[in-house]
Amino acid sequence: MAVEIPKDTWTGEVHAVTLGAIEADGGTRTKTVTVGGEKTLPFMHFEGETPNAPVVAVEIKDRRPDDWSPLLEEAWGSAMDDPAAWAKAAEEAGADLIQLSLSLTGSDGNPTTPQAAVDAVKAVLGATGLPLLVFGPGQADLDNELLVPVAEATKGERLVLGLCEDKNYRTIAATAMANDHLVIARTAMDVNLAKQLNILISDMGLPLERILMDPTTGALGYGIEYGYSVMERLRMAALQGDAMTQLPMIVTIGIETWKTKEGKVGDGVPEAWGDWKERAINWETLTAVTLIESAADIVVLRHPESVKRVKAAVTDLMTV
Amino acid sequence: MALSGIQIYKLLPQTNCKDCGFPTCLAFAMKLAAKQVELSACPHVSEEAKAQLAESAAPPVRLITLKSNGHEIKVGNEVVLFRHEKTFYNKPGLFIRVRDDQPADAVKAAVAAVDAYTVGYVGMDLGLDGFAVESVSGDAATFAAAIGAVRTVSGRPLVLISKDAQVMAAGLGAVDGEQPLIYGADGDNWEAMADLAKQHKAPLAVIGSSLDELAELTEKIKGKGIEDMVLDPGGRDLSTSLVQATQIRRLSIKKNFRPLGYPIIAFPCDAGDPARESVLAAQAIAKYAGFVVLGDFSPEKVYPLLVLRENIYTDPQKPIQVQPGLYEINDPKPESPLLVTTNFSITYFSVANEVEATGIPTWLMVADAEGMSVLTAWAAGKFDAERIAKSVKTFNVEDKVSQKRIVLPGHVAVLSGELEEELPGWEVKVGPREAVDLPAFMKQVL
Amino acid sequence: MAEHTVTFDIADEPVVVPTGTMLAEAARLAGIDIMQPCGGQGRCGRCAVQVTSGSARSRSAQRLSPEAIEQGFVLACQTVVEGDLTVVVPPQEKVERRLTTDRVAAEIAVPVGYDPHSAQTIRRFSLMLSPPDMADQTDDWSRLETALRQEADIPRLRVSLPLLQRVGAILREGEWQVTAVLDTETWDCERCLPRLVDLIPGRVPHTMPLWGAAIDIGTTTVSLWLVDLITGKVEAQVAEYNGQIARGEDVISRIIYAGKSDDNSREMRELVLGTINELFEKACKRVKASPAEVAKVTISGNSTMMHLLLGIPAENIRLSPFVTAVNQIPTLSAGEVGLDINPEATVDCLPGVASYVGADISAGVLSSGTDDTDAITLFIDVGTNGETVLGSREWLVTCACSAGPAFEGAGVRDGMRATVGAIEEVWVNANTFEPTYRVIGGKQPRGICGSGLISLLGELFLTGIIDKGGNFNVDLDTPRVREGEHGGEYVVAWGDGTEHGRDIAITRVDVDNLLRAKAAIYAGFTVLADSVGIPFETIEQMLVGGSFGKYINIEKAVDIGLLPDMPWDHFQFLGNTSIKGAYLALLDKRSRRRIRDIATRMTYIELSADNTFYDAFMSALFLPHTDLSRFPSVSEAMTTKG
Ligand code: SF4
Ligand code: FES
Repeated sequence: MAVEIPKDTWTGEVHAVTLGAIEADGGTRTKTVTVGGEKTLPFMHFEGETPNAPVVAVEIKDRRPDDWSPLLEEAWGSAMDDPAAWAKAAEEAGADLIQLSLSLTGSDGNPTTPQAAVDAVKAVLGATGLPLLVFGPGQADLDNELLVPVAEATKGERLVLGLCEDKNYRTIAATAMANDHLVIARTAMDVNLAKQLNILISDMGLPLERILMDPTTGALGYGIEYGYSVMERLRMAALQGDAMTQLPMIVTIGIETWKTKEGKVGDGVPEAWGDWKERAINWETLTAVTLIESAADIVVLRHPESVKRVKAAVTDLMTV
Repeated sequence: MALSGIQIYKLLPQTNCKDCGFPTCLAFAMKLAAKQVELSACPHVSEEAKAQLAESAAPPVRLITLKSNGHEIKVGNEVVLFRHEKTFYNKPGLFIRVRDDQPADAVKAAVAAVDAYTVGYVGMDLGLDGFAVESVSGDAATFAAAIGAVRTVSGRPLVLISKDAQVMAAGLGAVDGEQPLIYGADGDNWEAMADLAKQHKAPLAVIGSSLDELAELTEKIKGKGIEDMVLDPGGRDLSTSLVQATQIRRLSIKKNFRPLGYPIIAFPCDAGDPARESVLAAQAIAKYAGFVVLGDFSPEKVYPLLVLRENIYTDPQKPIQVQPGLYEINDPKPESPLLVTTNFSITYFSVANEVEATGIPTWLMVADAEGMSVLTAWAAGKFDAERIAKSVKTFNVEDKVSQKRIVLPGHVAVLSGELEEELPGWEVKVGPREAVDLPAFMKQVL
Repeated sequence: MAEHTVTFDIADEPVVVPTGTMLAEAARLAGIDIMQPCGGQGRCGRCAVQVTSGSARSRSAQRLSPEAIEQGFVLACQTVVEGDLTVVVPPQEKVERRLTTDRVAAEIAVPVGYDPHSAQTIRRFSLMLSPPDMADQTDDWSRLETALRQEADIPRLRVSLPLLQRVGAILREGEWQVTAVLDTETWDCERCLPRLVDLIPGRVPHTMPLWGAAIDIGTTTVSLWLVDLITGKVEAQVAEYNGQIARGEDVISRIIYAGKSDDNSREMRELVLGTINELFEKACKRVKASPAEVAKVTISGNSTMMHLLLGIPAENIRLSPFVTAVNQIPTLSAGEVGLDINPEATVDCLPGVASYVGADISAGVLSSGTDDTDAITLFIDVGTNGETVLGSREWLVTCACSAGPAFEGAGVRDGMRATVGAIEEVWVNANTFEPTYRVIGGKQPRGICGSGLISLLGELFLTGIIDKGGNFNVDLDTPRVREGEHGGEYVVAWGDGTEHGRDIAITRVDVDNLLRAKAAIYAGFTVLADSVGIPFETIEQMLVGGSFGKYINIEKAVDIGLLPDMPWDHFQFLGNTSIKGAYLALLDKRSRRRIRDIATRMTYIELSADNTFYDAFMSALFLPHTDLSRFPSVSEAMTTKG
């Protein structure tokens, strides 16, 4: 019996967004990474094109973090003391992108200075040819204070600056616009909020081709279902032609996974949780792959083994 | 095609007699459209209307039940492609594969471990559903013996795997009176397998290498009077299985294509590598499988999958809530201030974001207000002094903070007196009404 | 228990109260009425008094500034007496009166073809009885019944004992000529015997009015129309603030207050009865009648008001699963309800649908004709509860979307009711960002009322002073946009031009409150339309009710996404549809039956049951809406003005 396979016909498609700039284009990257461009739901190769595979960014910090899981310390070792070395190690671990998170304070306990932030970014840019995403420490004032000089000092690199949020998007969007960078618009697990922030940022004049959106997700067991459904809905809206949702999506899975008890802790947890390391890596990998299948274009991870597994899964998923 | 509330309403008597337990016929019609009630609840529907409504009421994915002594698992009956459109109803069964070429003791030990396994997750006890016993030996007696061994330690439902009808018959004989899943029928053995399914009133898994072949087989088997079937479309890699599962679900939901209107069975156990197996199983859970067969059991593999299954199958129509609890913002110390709010996600996020932005280390207690915002919850009696005091106790707040002072949202200043009574020895402070005013308040007052 | 003396500066004598007495209660005992607009919950800060000596303990001093606390100000509703006290009561803010229904109110059209004989249940008959004598010893009552049978073909009657006790005297006083007023039929007992409502000695000329009244008990305002049931004409329209305001501005506060004790519940009942009885006095005086002549009253109002009026516990209205004690109230008499009119008068409380969709909405549907048209109609009562009805002759669905009181000027820093001194409309120059405004009463402004807020929000948005998310653009080159204590704000009037000498401004928090209110109302529309699966475009008319309704500038309301973007001619403003509905039900028994049907067949959609409303709300929480394609005329306006 010949079954007629129903194919969805979509009128919209996701913008292709290129991260990083090579020398010819005013940057110093040895390669660029393009995400987005989907013309159909994730991996429905039989009905539409998925021109760019989802990619993995590895999160590193400007200094050895105080609160990361021992499993991560074990994995990265001394590279964690030097952002440049860490970036190299991440590249070797298979990262497509490097995501540098600036710390709230230096190791001396004083707030991170703009100069220190610029130095860290430059060091990473010097150590790897991969495109770079730079996140502020997550406090509106400090983010603005650090990201503006970083953006200015790296004009033309097409860095991705994070994070624009609904109460604090103007400064970052403005500096991205002035210095040829990209931004991430982050909203709290809601389709409408995501769309609203995209509208606000694009109303400022930043083209949609330079915005990634982060609809926020919880890790497995901690609200993954919200992130999952919000991404499915956003992607469907995009394919249905809603311009303000046609942006590639990024989710910061590493930070979410490694703050859960399942990831972070090995002692004093139920025996039924099983082997710590394997469980933790499973936690990060499954969170990532599940969200990739729901439409994530960039997943930010922390453990090198998860990077390997997620990349293998993506290869499998992209096979037609 | 599913009818809308108004379309159904037009077929009802429109007398608003309330016999169905709803205030109006339209209210009943809407519930019916949402598949939350049965048509039979209205005693006054005409025969003609009944006939018209029955068609729209049949589930596009058939409900399949496996039964054993004291256990039952139901899968199927799904009505949407994406969980946000309504919800996914019946969680896929997670089964552990057991091979009959293993020594009986090894089988028993493995099965006993799985049978006993439970893991706590947000107040629930999660566990696996049953076993898939596979005939590797090809020998009927060995197969029956292995099944017997399983049954000595676990009563959970079974999937029986063999393509040899004689072996299968022996297997079924070992669990007579139960309703295991027979796996399975293919182009060669389907007639014999269908006979067995009929004889044992057990559902039958149908194996095909393409959707065309599957649909043809299910139609033939249906012709033999078998209604309960499960599909194995054959894909074993992430890309093929995702596409196949999606196509099958689409055909049944959007086209009401009956030959493929059955649950799917997936075999991540065939992946070979445990890391890849986990990823395949996760996909099967999110993307439409009814039965998922896993290889060897290990808690670190199973626990994440059980949690994922809970997450994907939670009802997305419930207001987005954050888990009630004591949240740490900016690494609080025992002497840091304590704020309280409700577990409505937007409320939580707006408070948490403002506090986070101040950089002030803070404890934020999120009380269970059934996912309502502060004012709504207060109006509805879900955020009162009693509930707040209860949260303080449940979350052992007293062990974590050294300063017994709690800051109430300004909108519920009214609760301060009662809360002082509920929490003797505590100081109750009234904070601002709006989250945006928190930073100023915290800097000046706390 | 220890007792303390509390001396209030404005009271005649000190009062003695036990430890732990609430200061507000002590004041009441001293004969001082302290306003408690939030129902004594410490939320509004309007019950502040100054303790000049002695000891008191306050639970909450929220809403008081540090300086005020320093000076000894406390909230009377949050403070308990713990020792002898001396208290200064500051002058209480007077409720301003500018109610539209007054002498100047527009005349109300009598329904076409009104015929009391066929429509009215209250009938009046002049009867000539033959006097008794030794040959005819028939009892007085039978004599009355016989006369009625002969005159009006009414064989038998019901009567209450108090009236029966007076029958003999009345017959003799009128020398066997009397006028009988009957209620011939009630909606809940169509086959019951007619009931004697009044018996008047002598012959009342048939041109004399026969009085009935339609009442709308609003949370804020109570309105009463005095109607001549013979002609159907409204002869007097009066209105007054609901006396319960002193014990809570919103329904939730009042439910909580009334629920605290039987005394409180009785007090609430008496407060609203006081207001109604005052209105009867006033209206009757105007037409030179006596309240005792009123034979029938039809009452409309939201479910909470109805429960509180009748002294029926209202707690379950606010508590999940939100059920009323009763939606269809049986016919009552004025005596039992507590109205100071003829105690035999029929009191007909109109039916409601649910906790937050009350008789006022059923009445609104009736008077707006939403239930009697083929055109798909959206009817909204713009107010705190934002009740909305969608439907036509075939079906009706309804919901209430708790918009909050922002559009009534509450919960907004410089918000106020639409009374003298309120800015009611604002225009902002797109280049200079300077405003022009209109003030009710034409004098210096004191605040901004709901319509002013709508127009201001629209202007701020179209001129780019706020972005679509409501964030102020503080980089603009104008002193009017500045950083205030709640983030950005815009100064509408500088202090040197205002009545109180303070700047009048709209703050970030105000904008958020207004956005939430408008989003809730618009989301209600969307959910209703979705619930029955009809596209928004198929809505053929949009009826706006509520006394507030008539002041809204449609264009601005559409600009901010409060009302849907529809052609102008789809909109119709109806004013107080609740009292109009009560009036129709008072006049015509067919209308009364119709409103019963309306309440029975309206399908109530509970918005908190699932996420649909939340989603619609979030998407409406933007200017004008996250989905701009729903507001084509606004996108156009943005390109021209912005
Ligand atoms: S029982 Fe039937 S006729 Fe009666 S209200 Fe329910 S649906 Fe309508
Ligand atoms: S604060 Fe006391 S009555 Fe409102």
